Amino acid sequence: MSRVSLKVTGAQGQGINSVGEMCAKGLKRAGYCVFGYREYMSLIKGGHSSYQLDVSNELIGSSETTVDVLVCFNHHGLEINLVGVKEGGVVLHQSPQWKFSPEQKKIIDQRKISVIEMPTEEMLTKLKAPPILGNVLITSVVWSLLGRDGEELKNLVKEQFGHKGEKLLAMNFSAIDTAIAWAKEKKISDCWKSELPAAEKRWKDHLLLTGSEAMGLGVIHAGCRLYAGYPMTPSSPLLTFIAAHQNETGMIVKQAEDEITAAQIMSGAMLMGTRAMTATSGGGFDLMTETVSLNAIIENPSVFVLAQRPGPATGLPTWTAQGDLLLATHSAHGEFPRLVLAASNTEDSFALMSDAFNYAEEFQIPVIILTDKHLAEGIFTEEAFDQKKTKLMRGKLVTSASELKKLKSTDRYDPKAKDGVSPRWLPGAKAATFCSQGDEHNADGSVDETAANAAAQMEKRQKKMEALARVLPEPEYTGPKNPDVLVVSWGSNRGVIADAMNQNSKIGYLHYTHLWPLKTKTLTDLASKAKKTVLVECNHQGQLGMLIKQECGLDFDHKILKYDGRPFFYDELVQKISSLTARR
Amino acid sequence: MIRIPLDNAGGPKMQDYHHDNQCTWCDGCGDYGIWTAAKRALVELNIAPHEVLLCYDVGCHGNMSDKLLGYRFHGLHGRVIPFAAGAALANRNVPVMAFGGDGASFSEGIGHLVHGLRSNYPMTFVLHNNANYGLTLGQASSLTWQGQPMNTSPNGIPERTLPSMDFVFSLEPTFVARGFSGNIDQLTEILKVAIKHRGFAFVDVLQACPTYNHFATHDYLLERCYDANKEGHDPSNFAAARKLATDSSERIATGILYQNENTPDYYEQLVARQNVKTQAVDEVEKKDVSAWMKKFV
Repeated sequence: MSRVSLKVTGAQGQGINSVGEMCAKGLKRAGYCVFGYREYMSLIKGGHSSYQLDVSNELIGSSETTVDVLVCFNHHGLEINLVGVKEGGVVLHQSPQWKFSPEQKKIIDQRKISVIEMPTEEMLTKLKAPPILGNVLITSVVWSLLGRDGEELKNLVKEQFGHKGEKLLAMNFSAIDTAIAWAKEKKISDCWKSELPAAEKRWKDHLLLTGSEAMGLGVIHAGCRLYAGYPMTPSSPLLTFIAAHQNETGMIVKQAEDEITAAQIMSGAMLMGTRAMTATSGGGFDLMTETVSLNAIIENPSVFVLAQRPGPATGLPTWTAQGDLLLATHSAHGEFPRLVLAASNTEDSFALMSDAFNYAEEFQIPVIILTDKHLAEGIFTEEAFDQKKTKLMRGKLVTSASELKKLKSTDRYDPKAKDGVSPRWLPGAKAATFCSQGDEHNADGSVDETAANAAAQMEKRQKKMEALARVLPEPEYTGPKNPDVLVVSWGSNRGVIADAMNQNSKIGYLHYTHLWPLKTKTLTDLASKAKKTVLVECNHQGQLGMLIKQECGLDFDHKILKYDGRPFFYDELVQKISSLTARR
Repeated sequence: MIRIPLDNAGGPKMQDYHHDNQCTWCDGCGDYGIWTAAKRALVELNIAPHEVLLCYDVGCHGNMSDKLLGYRFHGLHGRVIPFAAGAALANRNVPVMAFGGDGASFSEGIGHLVHGLRSNYPMTFVLHNNANYGLTLGQASSLTWQGQPMNTSPNGIPERTLPSMDFVFSLEPTFVARGFSGNIDQLTEILKVAIKHRGFAFVDVLQACPTYNHFATHDYLLERCYDANKEGHDPSNFAAARKLATDSSERIATGILYQNENTPDYYEQLVARQNVKTQAVDEVEKKDVSAWMKKFV
């Protein structure tokens, strides 16, 4: 696979996201698959952040540790990120008279890096343009560097700012012209020793969106009508997306006073019979866990999104991790059935939302969907979502008047219900009433502390777990029938693993989307054929490995674990896997 | 006035709310009175059991959850308000009543009370106020009188008693009433107005706890409670209501102390729901997102 990468660095609030977004959209429109990765610190202005785009004409779902083009809004990028520039790469900056240290000069010489200083201030003064247009100037120079045509950029700018009036648009256009003329004069396009691969039409009509945006569309698509949340990175972008679209969707959106409230509001709305959800990150989920347990005993469908970031405590708020898998599978007191799913890319971030609601309603259980910062804020190039295959499944929800009339109060929690799943009906329905009882209860929800009842109700609920395990799909496998190396992972590692596999036809990849209950048949079959089994996770313990060991006794030959807040990078993973395959 | 209604021509009857489970409260517990008044208010408002959602917190009062019919929910300690609010927002056609004790509402879940009042959710909240934690065997709550020896605080609590009514009024409520579990007739009338109120109706019910509350006993409350509305109190007067509510040194004012129906409830304030005729519960269907997808191309 031919891939190039571009990194824009600067202080938060300087406009690096705007340059990154414009380049990403422009490149996708031009016929490239783009993968975007943002790093930033937990503050609003300042700090050092970056927006990296990895670009290919083939499917790409990962970032590299080194880049072809480095754009530095300020001198910190020059100091920090120069070491990450590839041979023959380019550094574009706007720090006048910047002097590199002797060590840096050595890197520049050895790697034949071209350093370009852009007179952004001067250009702005000449244009009589506000500083914000500096972003357009920089984007235009990058555009020239990549060998693309300025008209593509103009079309994009027109689309984004056209509604803001002719004057602003004209100003943007002259900024593009000025920057491109400058780039031409300085022969910028010759500076970069490499080039973009040939564009391919197939990417032009794809969507370019983050995991959170895909998930948000999935939430809307699934018929969710109430969303309650409390801001916490990296779940906030989902709340923001849902809130921003509320006037179009008509969804009830509540920013609650805390995560407990958000979880309770969601639960109440679900009990009443709509589809509702909440999302949070680790610390917020800790607060929600008692409510997870509550929903289990009252057999209330409920949907929680848990967007992971590194803990413990506040940890690394704006970085990524997969350290909350066991939190999702084991949190909250008591024993009860639940489903844990993990999204891995924009495709399943969308599709899993309908699945989550369907499973929640069919089995009347809490469903937890894991995502992480890397997925929630990563930018993916994605085919338009297939909406045809979505079905809304509401399980044993009784709504017809004649069926409601037949119901007895004791049907609600009848321990003899097949698979433990009872009919469910809603407040307001003309039928016998029951109590959604948080204490251990008998068939109509009356408190019942007898031994026989306690055992019967526990068994009723746990039967749902068996039934759920029967209908859940096995993990997805891609690769040869008899892989040399079987890689097993989950969540957002999927993209980088797929990219790394392109390098080696003897690697097979088993991806877990459904994590609890855990299916192990495909895994044990493949593991028995593979020469080596490798677990890949962004956590310290190898938590999926722990679950697998618990469920089927399998020990992995190797574990590639990462717990520094960063996702796996493409070159890093290729190197780690190949070092394993080399060691025979 | 003595009313024994109970055959509401064509409408629901008290018997319709009857559950065979026997009450488990102590003899003389105030919960009996609140239980009776709640059922009676619903019957007199012509609300049948299947037309209401009754939500209970955890505490002695929560043992009401299986002592009557109606769609009911019995949840977590301190969390009944947001659960009930979520339910109320999802279907405005089903009146939602939440019941909670003073332990749950002024300690564990006090934040929910603050935001329930502030948000003005379309629901009724009934405070079972017996000034202690009964179900866990008589510990001090934040509404227990300071210095009163209780289980786990034999020397009396060092903390000051939380001025609950002053606190509630500081949050600009739209409905505040106070009832007494020993006056079922009046409490019924209060609950009827509360259920019909536009927004969050806060009903503080002073109740006896014969087992653990040996200070504000049934007789104590009986002696001091009076009907402020009968004495001419105007519930539209916020300042007068606050004064009446907070000063219980001599006599305790009961009745509808404050009501303001000019403030829209939480749901009515939602821009996204203006002119929407359906309820969220009616709107669960697969939604075409093609238009939104286009923005990402």
